[in-house]
Amino acid sequence: MSAGLLAGPTDGVLVSTPGGRVSTFIITTLNGISYAFILFLLAAGFSLTFGVMGVINLAHGALYVLGAYFGLAIVNSLGSFWAGVVVAAVGVGLVGLGIYFFFLRHLYGKVPEQAVLTIGLGYALANIILWVWGPFAKMGMTPELFVGVVRVGDLAFPIYRLFIVGVGIAVLIVLWWMQDKTRVGAIIRAGMDNKEMTRSLGINYGLVSTAVFLFGAALAGFAGILGAPVLGAFPSMGDALLLLTLMVVVVGGTGYIQGTVLGALIIGLVDTFGKAYIPQAALFTSYVIFIVVLLVRPSGLIGRKVF
Amino acid sequence: MALLEVRDLSVHFGGLAAVQSVTFSVEQGERLAMIGPNGAGKTTLFNLLTGQLKPSGGHVLFNGKDITHLSVHGRTQLGIARSFQITSLFPNETVRVNALIALQGTRAGRFRMFGAFSKDRELRNAARDLLEKIDLWDKRDEIVSSLAYGEQRKLEMALSLASEPELLLLDEPSCGLTPTESADITARIKDLGSKITVLMIAHDMDLVFGVAERIILLHFGEITAEGAPDEIRANQTVKDIYMGSHRASTAGN
Amino acid sequence: MATQVKPGVFTGKLFARRAVATAPAERSARAFLPTILPVIVIGVLILLLPTFVPSYIQSLVTKMMIFALFGVSMNILWGFAGIPTFGHAAFFGFGGYCAGILIVHGGVGNFWINLVLAFLLTGLLAAGLGIPAFRVYGVGASDNPIYFLLVTLAFGELLSRVAISARSLTGGSTGLAGIPYPQGVLPGLHINSHSFYFLTFVIVVVCLFLIYRLVNSHYGYALRGIHDNERRMQALGYNTWLYKYTSYIVAGAFGGVAGVLFAYFGGVMVPGNMGMAMTDIVFLIVILGSASIYLGPIVGAIVVVGVEYLASLYVPDRWPLIMGAIIVFVIMVIPQGIGVLLLTGWRRLVRHGAS
Repeated sequence: MSAGLLAGPTDGVLVSTPGGRVSTFIITTLNGISYAFILFLLAAGFSLTFGVMGVINLAHGALYVLGAYFGLAIVNSLGSFWAGVVVAAVGVGLVGLGIYFFFLRHLYGKVPEQAVLTIGLGYALANIILWVWGPFAKMGMTPELFVGVVRVGDLAFPIYRLFIVGVGIAVLIVLWWMQDKTRVGAIIRAGMDNKEMTRSLGINYGLVSTAVFLFGAALAGFAGILGAPVLGAFPSMGDALLLLTLMVVVVGGTGYIQGTVLGALIIGLVDTFGKAYIPQAALFTSYVIFIVVLLVRPSGLIGRKVF
Repeated sequence: MALLEVRDLSVHFGGLAAVQSVTFSVEQGERLAMIGPNGAGKTTLFNLLTGQLKPSGGHVLFNGKDITHLSVHGRTQLGIARSFQITSLFPNETVRVNALIALQGTRAGRFRMFGAFSKDRELRNAARDLLEKIDLWDKRDEIVSSLAYGEQRKLEMALSLASEPELLLLDEPSCGLTPTESADITARIKDLGSKITVLMIAHDMDLVFGVAERIILLHFGEITAEGAPDEIRANQTVKDIYMGSHRASTAGN
Repeated sequence: MATQVKPGVFTGKLFARRAVATAPAERSARAFLPTILPVIVIGVLILLLPTFVPSYIQSLVTKMMIFALFGVSMNILWGFAGIPTFGHAAFFGFGGYCAGILIVHGGVGNFWINLVLAFLLTGLLAAGLGIPAFRVYGVGASDNPIYFLLVTLAFGELLSRVAISARSLTGGSTGLAGIPYPQGVLPGLHINSHSFYFLTFVIVVVCLFLIYRLVNSHYGYALRGIHDNERRMQALGYNTWLYKYTSYIVAGAFGGVAGVLFAYFGGVMVPGNMGMAMTDIVFLIVILGSASIYLGPIVGAIVVVGVEYLASLYVPDRWPLIMGAIIVFVIMVIPQGIGVLLLTGWRRLVRHGAS
């Protein structure tokens, strides 16, 4: 099952058309873009805390999985997809709050410690999920609103996937606006450069940091439940998801949300096209891109120039 | 042929020209001091000369060889050494190990993976010489971070001499030292001998006028004045730009 | 002596002092004994152990030795060079897979040939991965190594994914099984679990000794200098990139040796041996034991393997949770590791005894 994760979306509703090369190309592109936006939703929370605050949270993959499980638990008991989404986001946000408050807050600036601690937490979290919900994968349920496919000519594409793209774009706009236009964005940027200064200006940087981290975690949970109908959910997913997140962030660059979406698009499209057109080398296409970007532009394609 | 030749050297950070078309040369055996107000670009220029920073334009020549794009360690191997304004030692090692590491940098065998480093007889003797010269031999087994500031400064300069350089770049060697310690450093620099050429950044005017044969004034990244100490002392531009702040700093001492 | 053991694995600087033995010039009977004695005693104990403990304990100690080597190899980077890497398990697993593949698919029966090949191939892998990895390692990055951490982590995961998909070679996610005990070790010597114990002991001790010599050599001190102050090292004439890169290769190669032993030990290699989970284990070993002391990871290995064993007896499915909890505890409460505490305790004891 774990191999399946990086083999691309597994939602059974595989789009098939009787078409020729053009249709295959269009479908692959649509698949790639929707996969890319799942990756974007996944990576956005990490990019936020890492790129903006400089805080490393390697439990991020596990938080996504937790979101999926929280959400699915609600969906299965209450029957409401939307309630599931809310609970996933809020629940994981609270878990994130706990992580920040009890641990990360005390490790400000100590990067290796943050990394190790969050790896340990992620590991523990995955095991807790296994404990509570068992080892078998759960399939997400597509909400009724979005069941079915949309037809364009002789092509069919799942509505839900389009919904994800829509959500992804909405999140992108919100984060972009937050980054460039709001006071919060400016405060965080200023605080990154000079924490003392923001404090002396009367800004409660601690509060802002906590809020940002909480938001990043909530975003991970949100991505988890949204992605569940497409990627499924199983306890050990976190590692593969973290790897994807890291690839997206490295390729796209950190510090700017534009980088994250670009990275997601590249990885998503390269991976999907790779699988569609070169099945044997499927796994490697995104890895190759990853390593090439590292060699050629270590700071990422749209990143704060660090190297 | 001058030992060091700097031609039209510039570096920009964003829109700001930190160093602008700087041209000068240093002759073998010379003692050249670089002065200027804070932020004038002196340390930036040093970083360009040592290779820590890459210029946006211009050339640096050492013994006629273009080293503009040579790495930091490459330049040290050629015979350029540098001391740092903010003391830059190996804080968790002993004084002796600091000396040993510094000495090994330009000697053969620094990649040896067997053979105990601390047993290397040649290195140990060289370290002893180095440390005795700066009166730190008695403290050879003390961890550097436990030394007094003045002692650390002495070690700082000694480490840069470990590579037996032809050109020594001293960045504020007397920074933060008491008058006695400053006088000590000044004497040591004077004793360096004609085989070493010294280019020095300094605020301490006693040090500058005690050691320098020629002085360059840097202001906003450009050379505004250049000449023998007496000329500089009399130079009106210098007085306007710099002596005002000098008076303030001597008042502080 | 004025020098003290300095704790502080993570006060922003990972700092490794010179190995437990004192500098040769000061070595006298008094200084020599306290530091080398426990090492000799433990070595002798290990050799004598099989005669008075059941075989499952022997097996456990074998595992401890393997992970001790694994941890010490990683500490060349973490503790000594100050290079924080999260992908070290990749080399461990790769070494093990090399050995396994050579035997199962390549028919290479001889243990020594296998070992040397795996050592070289793993070194080669490290050489290959090191080039892109160090592209994201700035000067003096031991202070802020985020990118390097992430990239090496990604490499480890990446390799385990490769292992999963290269099914014909590696057996896919179920792993490569059927690795027999070493053959051709010595003419006429048949290795079983009992003699494997001693074989492991010999190899681990030799490797630990080589690494010990390495970190005390000219090269080793240069690494420490780079850890402490890379900028100064450059200014002193050292090509710091070359040192970091080669240390990555050396550490990886020795990690591969541990992996080879592991492959023979368990008879099976799974992709997880290269991924994040295994990196977590070796990481815990290093920091729990103290990265700032050469012998630290050895202590860490004993503790971690021991606790894992206990967990497998009483709460078999909860080991990852326990491990996560231990990691959190160590980072928050004893970040310098217990090795440092043991060492200061031991030194104090010796001083008391001497007076």
